Amino acid sequence: MKRRKNLFVASFLVLPVTLYLVLVLSPFAQAFWFSMTNWNGTNPNYEFVGLENFQKLFTSELYSVYLIPALKHNAVMLIVVPLVVIALALFFAFMLNVGGRSRGGQMRGVGGAGFYKIIYFFPQVLSVVMIGVLWQAVYRSDEYGLLNSVLALFGVPLKSSGWLSDPSLVLIMVMLVMIWSSVGFYLVYFSSAMASIPAEIYEAAALDGSTRVQTFFKITVPLLFDSIRTAWIYLGIVALDGFALVFIMTPQQGGPDHGSEVLGGVMYNFFANGKAAMACAVGVILFFFTLSLMALSMRLTRRDRVEF
Amino acid sequence: MASDTTPNEAGDLTRRSVLKTSAALGLLAVPAVGLLSACASGGSEDKEGVGVDTADAVNPFKVDGKKPLEVVIFKGGYDDKYAIAQEAIYKEKFPESVITHHGIEDIRAEMGPRFNSKNPPDVIDNSGAQQINHADLANNGQYADLTPLLDAPTIDDANVKVRDTLLGGVVELGTYNGKFHVLNYGFTLYAIWYSGGLFAEKGWTAPTTWAEMLTLCEEIKKAGIAPWTYTGVHPYYLFDMMVTLAARHGGNDVIKNIDNLEPDAWRHASIKLALEAMADLKAKGYILEGSDGLDHRASQARWAKKDAAFIPVGSWLENEEKELLAADPNFEMKCLIMPPLDGSTNPNAVWAAPGEGFAVPQDAKNREGGLEYLRIMLSAKGREAFSKNTSSLTVVAGKTEGMPDSPGVRAANEALKTTATSAFPFKIDEWYPDFGKGILRPKLGEVMAGRLTPDEFIDTIQKAADDVKSDSAILKQKR
Repeated sequence: MKRRKNLFVASFLVLPVTLYLVLVLSPFAQAFWFSMTNWNGTNPNYEFVGLENFQKLFTSELYSVYLIPALKHNAVMLIVVPLVVIALALFFAFMLNVGGRSRGGQMRGVGGAGFYKIIYFFPQVLSVVMIGVLWQAVYRSDEYGLLNSVLALFGVPLKSSGWLSDPSLVLIMVMLVMIWSSVGFYLVYFSSAMASIPAEIYEAAALDGSTRVQTFFKITVPLLFDSIRTAWIYLGIVALDGFALVFIMTPQQGGPDHGSEVLGGVMYNFFANGKAAMACAVGVILFFFTLSLMALSMRLTRRDRVEF
Repeated sequence: MASDTTPNEAGDLTRRSVLKTSAALGLLAVPAVGLLSACASGGSEDKEGVGVDTADAVNPFKVDGKKPLEVVIFKGGYDDKYAIAQEAIYKEKFPESVITHHGIEDIRAEMGPRFNSKNPPDVIDNSGAQQINHADLANNGQYADLTPLLDAPTIDDANVKVRDTLLGGVVELGTYNGKFHVLNYGFTLYAIWYSGGLFAEKGWTAPTTWAEMLTLCEEIKKAGIAPWTYTGVHPYYLFDMMVTLAARHGGNDVIKNIDNLEPDAWRHASIKLALEAMADLKAKGYILEGSDGLDHRASQARWAKKDAAFIPVGSWLENEEKELLAADPNFEMKCLIMPPLDGSTNPNAVWAAPGEGFAVPQDAKNREGGLEYLRIMLSAKGREAFSKNTSSLTVVAGKTEGMPDSPGVRAANEALKTTATSAFPFKIDEWYPDFGKGILRPKLGEVMAGRLTPDEFIDTIQKAADDVKSDSAILKQKR
């Protein structure tokens, strides 16, 4: 009986499982395999070299010059981008939904909330390429840059090493764009989550004389915890990537002088330099990096759900 | 979630048991994956090279005119119209041959897999930002030896060998592991460009030494114009300044030693002087504010607007900024090669940097046809097709068929005639792309931006060059 049922189920699963094996699992397995060879992307007669690629990635200047900054930058982005985006999105969502004066016991957003919601969502409808090109023009390093010309109006002299062309600033500039382009979406996301919090809870809080700040931290944030966790995971994925923006906006695509290198970009550069095996090794590192982060975040955010 | 709490009884299907079964299936499939990828590997069998009958000026490679020919052209700054015209010449010669033409931008993405599966085209113009490293393909025996092409008679004159028509340095430039594999076809002159009109209006004269350059820069600055601009986004445009100044000062061997990874090659005094001269331009405020963040088009646009007097670019500049330059009839584009530093021992040295690397893959089905196609490209008709469509010169010395008579081309020709007695190549950046793109280029950009001193640069680069040398996995080249 059991056999038959299994066979029955298997007959349905053959096609999707095969597709999954061929299109998802096999590239994964191949990347692991290639990371231990000296494949350069075009030579069919590559050899197995063991863990040499991984060792070189960390010890040889020729490769660590890419990898080490990329690991650092992705780690920074992983902390800063989700934190700032969630904080801003929560704050704006709160203001737009329940931050205004209550009228007749009803909680309302600040004036013009509907209009703001649309404005905040604008970046979301632009493709990431457009965003990159747009901000490149904003950050342009000479007096034709939008930011520079606005600053010039206030008498601020031209910053001599530019915005994106300053290795110590470039990552911050890229993160600002990531944050700018993500806040709108999470604002809408948190808004809809807030709408599902029963109004009575807010009314009760208001009756008890709770201030807006207290309401925000004691009511809104705890009740939105599930949504915040989801947002955190999505933003973590965004922060681990960052490739497209870095690639489009920054000088030397990850520069200047590796000042905005990210792991995705490092993989791309290694492929382009004819070091496909190294690129696969970076992919494997990224795989374990992501896996351990996932495990960590699952553990840290495990808690009871509030039923309402 | 009912299935989580239901006991896992026999005969009962749960989500878990299904997952377990499929995971087991997945594990079983993994060895198959290994087998699949193993199929891709395997030794490259040694094919014999193409022969050449030097007495036969019509068909020296014994091309089978019935065989099809597949040509892949990088569709970049030169576009691919010239190649279509050249293919027509081949078709005229071998009317029965079917020619397939591909004009593509991303060579690596489209041709990488074909090299990997030993199914490459017959001729490939492996160029552009996404080119596959020539050194990788040559080292791995995936490029055919083009020496027969050099020994073959030219199409235009049966008494002259192809080898003797090429500009100095072209054979050396295309040689890997002692064999000629890559024909760099388009001639590029790196130079400093300026507006003759602007200079005439202000009464400035082009400097002939670096000391004169600095005096002139002071004058230009006083006139409210930035003396220099450059693209900081692509620091390899700065190679010209570094290698030309250094080779002119200390001789071409300074660069040769660098290419050959000789010990302390980067610590040569001439390199330091060249870098100091570059850093000096920034320190003295002779560089247009913001240049380090401008891409090539933006910096060229500022130069074309006469916001800056000099810009270091290759000879494609005129073609690239055609529209901007046409808008200003008094611009009169002119060029000069980096003026030599004080005490230069080799003041006529010029960096020969031909581009558009053509090759015939070793595994191509019609290598004879590929070689013949290259011979056609180098003939008078082929050159005309190229120059007419690209306004650029080929590497055939002294031939200008089809060239439009424009100020930029004239300037490049003039500079070449007076200085090309001592042309030298610069190869380390291309031979070792990890070193070139990962360390040399970004650090040179930092020197020019004034954030890294020449001494720091030299220490970093020398150490990286030593790393390349000591890494046994990197196949070394020599010239």
